[in-house]
Amino acid sequence: MSKTITVKSQEGKSYQFVDDGSPMQGGMKDVYFAPDRSYVVAFFRDKQDFNSKERLTNIVKNYRERIFNQAGGDYWKDLFCWPYDMVEYNGRTGIVVPTYQKHFFFQTGYNPSGNQISSIRGKEKEGKWFASAQFRSKSFKLHLDKSELGDWFKYFLVCIKISRAVRRMHSAGLAHSDLSYKNVLIDPSSGRAAIIDIDGLVVPGKFAPDVIGTPDFIAPEVMSTKHLGKTDPNRKLPSIATDRHALAVMIYMYLLYRHPLRGGKIHDTDPQKDEELGMGSKALFVEHPTDLSNRPKLNQVKPTHLPWADVNKIPYTICGPYLTDLFNKAFIDGLQNPSARPTADDWESALIKTVDLMQPCQNTMCDQKWFVFANTTKPVCPFCGTPYRGQLPVLNLYYKKPDGQFGLENQRLMVYNNQYLYPWHVNRSIFPNEKLTAEQVKPVGYFVFHGGKWQLINQTLTSLKDVSEDKEIPIGSAVELTEGKKILLSTEAGGRLIIVQLVAN
Amino acid sequence: MRRLPVYLLLDTSGSMRGERIEAVKNGLQVLVSKLRQDPFALESVHISIITFDREVKQLLPLTDLEHLQLPEIIPPESGPTNMGEALLMLCDQIDREIIRSTEEEKGDWRPLLFLMTDGKPSDLAKFREAVPRVKTKNFGAVVACAAGAEAVDSFLKELTDTVVHLDTADSSTLMSFFKWVSASIGTGNKSVGTAEEMVLPPPPAEVHLII
Ligand SMILES: Nc1ncnc2c1ncn2[C@@H]1O[C@H](COP(=O)(O)OP(=O)(O)O)[C@@H](O)[C@H]1O
Ligand SMILES: [Zn+2]
Repeated sequence: MSKTITVKSQEGKSYQFVDDGSPMQGGMKDVYFAPDRSYVVAFFRDKQDFNSKERLTNIVKNYRERIFNQAGGDYWKDLFCWPYDMVEYNGRTGIVVPTYQKHFFFQTGYNPSGNQISSIRGKEKEGKWFASAQFRSKSFKLHLDKSELGDWFKYFLVCIKISRAVRRMHSAGLAHSDLSYKNVLIDPSSGRAAIIDIDGLVVPGKFAPDVIGTPDFIAPEVMSTKHLGKTDPNRKLPSIATDRHALAVMIYMYLLYRHPLRGGKIHDTDPQKDEELGMGSKALFVEHPTDLSNRPKLNQVKPTHLPWADVNKIPYTICGPYLTDLFNKAFIDGLQNPSARPTADDWESALIKTVDLMQPCQNTMCDQKWFVFANTTKPVCPFCGTPYRGQLPVLNLYYKKPDGQFGLENQRLMVYNNQYLYPWHVNRSIFPNEKLTAEQVKPVGYFVFHGGKWQLINQTLTSLKDVSEDKEIPIGSAVELTEGKKILLSTEAGGRLIIVQLVAN
Repeated sequence: MRRLPVYLLLDTSGSMRGERIEAVKNGLQVLVSKLRQDPFALESVHISIITFDREVKQLLPLTDLEHLQLPEIIPPESGPTNMGEALLMLCDQIDREIIRSTEEEKGDWRPLLFLMTDGKPSDLAKFREAVPRVKTKNFGAVVACAAGAEAVDSFLKELTDTVVHLDTADSSTLMSFFKWVSASIGTGNKSVGTAEEMVLPPPPAEVHLII
C-alpha cells in the first residue's frame, strides 16, 4: 500500500512524498517522489550529526542563493539539480530536490536487439554510459541505440555545460568534491548536462569532505595520501584543485571514450596496489609525448573498446589546439602539481573556441559527424577518414588595439553551410555564457554556399563593412567570402575584423 | 580493462527444494538483470555459479554479462551438503580461470565470493581442508549467507568475517540477499569514503551482518 506523507521544513513549508515501501536507493539515501513528481524527498539513512545538518542547511540556503539569486540565476536551474529545502521525518534528515529533467532519462536505451536481452528505458542517463567505448561499439550486444548517442559536436556542448557549472561553483568558493560520471547526468542527443548529488559539497576550510571521490576521478595527490589520517597535515582531501583534475578526466572521457591514465603500464602485480599507484603517485598520461610506457597495449584491449583505445589512430590532438594545450596542462604539468591544472573557466573558453573550429564530416554515414579543423590544407575527418572536398573558408579574427591597429587573435572561425554568426563572434567583449541577454543569443547573420560561392548574409548587423571593397553591407544583403577579403563586423568598441582564407581541395 | 570475477556458491541440497530454490533462481535473474543495467558492471563483472548438494557442479563458468545465460538448477530429493568439496572446486577454478597480473599484462580484479547455504557442510573434513586454501586465493571479499533457522553460522565464520544471517529463507529475504549482492558488486564505482575502506554497502533490513 502506498501512502502520501506530508512533512514540514524548518520554515514551515510543507512537502509531500509517496511511500510505497520500496524507495529508490543510492549508497546513502532513500529517495521518494512527490505526488506530482516535480520534486523528490531524499532521506539520509544514517543519522546526520550537527555538522552535517549545518552543511545541508547551508547548501539549501546560503550557497544556493549565492548561485541562484543573482542576475541570470535561472540559467543554472538546468545545470544543477540543487536541493532547495531540508526536512525531518521520523528522526531522519531529508532534502528536497527537483526531479531530474525529462531528457535525462533513456527513451530508447539499448539498440533494438539489445533491448531483447535487457532494457534501460526510463533509467537515468548516468554519464558512464557515454564515457565508455563499449556502449557505442556495434560488436557489443548491449550497445546504446544510435538515437541516444548524439554526435561529436553534442559532446562539446555537454562538456561546455559541465565546465560552466563547475566554474560557477568554484567562483562561489564551493568544491563539488565528488565530480564523476555518476554525479553528472548527460544527454548527448541534445547536448545537455546537469550536476547532481550536490549534498556532498565542500567548502574549503569550513566543511570537510566525507568522500575522497569516485574511482577514475580521484586526484593523484588524494589517492597517494589516502592511507594517512584525516588530520595528518600531509593528507590531501578533495578541494577545488581536485575538482579540476576530475573535470579534465571527464572531458577527456566524453570526447575520446577512454581514460587518460589507464594504459598498459604495470605498477604492481596486485591489482589493488596497481590501481593505487597508477591513479596516485605513479600516474602517467597514456598519451605522454615522450614517456611511452603507459600506452595502451592493443593486443590486451577488448575489441569492443576499439578504435577509441588506439591512441595512435585517435590521438587527443584531434580535439584541436586549445584543448591539446589544456590536456597537456592537466595530465602532464598539473598531474602531480595541482596548482598547474587548468581551471573550469579555462576549459569552458577552450571548448567554446574549439566549437568554432568544427566542420561537419561530408560522409553522411560518419558516426561522429563532426571534426575539428586541424589547420592543414588537406582537412580529413579523423574518425572515418573522409577528406573534405571543395572550398573551405577559414575566418581569421582580428581585434582593434588601443592604437587603432588590428591585432591577430588566437582564434578562428570555420565556416560551413547554414552556419550562424553570433554576437560573440562579432564583438570580443561578448562571451557566450550565462550572462548573455536574450538579444545576444540570437544570430546576427549566417553563411551559405550558394551558386558556387560562399556568402555571409547580414541579418541584424548595423555596421557590417566589406573593407576590401570599402562598401557597407546593409541588413538583408550578402557579402561574398573570397581569398584575402577583409570584413569589419562592427565599428563598435571590441568589434572584430575578419580576414578570409580559402582552403581549396 | 580488468575483469571483476564474481563466484556464487549456492546450496542446492534437498532442503532447498521448492520455494527456496525458486527464490534463488528468481534472485539470480534479478541479479543479472540489475547488473545488465549498470554500465560499470557491464564493463567488468564476470559471473560463475557453482552449486553443491551431493554433487558439486560448476553450472556456469566465468562469463561476462553480455553473453551470460542462466543455467537450469534442479536440486536432488535429498542427500548431503558437500560445501567443502564445492570450496575445493572453487579453488581449482580460481587457479584456472583468474588471470593473474604479470609484469607484462594487467590481470583481473580480486575475485568476490558469495556463498549461500540453508544448512551446514556435511563433508567437514574437506571443508576444513578447503578453508585455508580459500584464504590464499586473495579474494576481494568473501560473504557467506546463512539462510533460515537450520543454517549454522559457526562454520561459515571459519571461512569469513562477513556472515549474513537471514532469519527466514523465504523468497523475499532471499531476494533481498541477491539485491544486496548486486549492490556490493556495484560498489567499485561508488564514491569512496574518507574515513576507511568501505567494502560492502549496508545490508538490507532483513539481514543480520555478523562480524
Ligand atoms: N532528483 C531526483 N530525481 C529523480 N530521481 C532521483 C533524484 N534523486 C535521486 N533519484 C533516484 O534515487 C537514486 C538514489 O539517489 P542518489 O542521489 O544517487 O542517492 P545516494 O546519495 O544515496 O547515492 C538515484 O539513483 C535516482 O534513481
Ligand atoms: Zn567522418
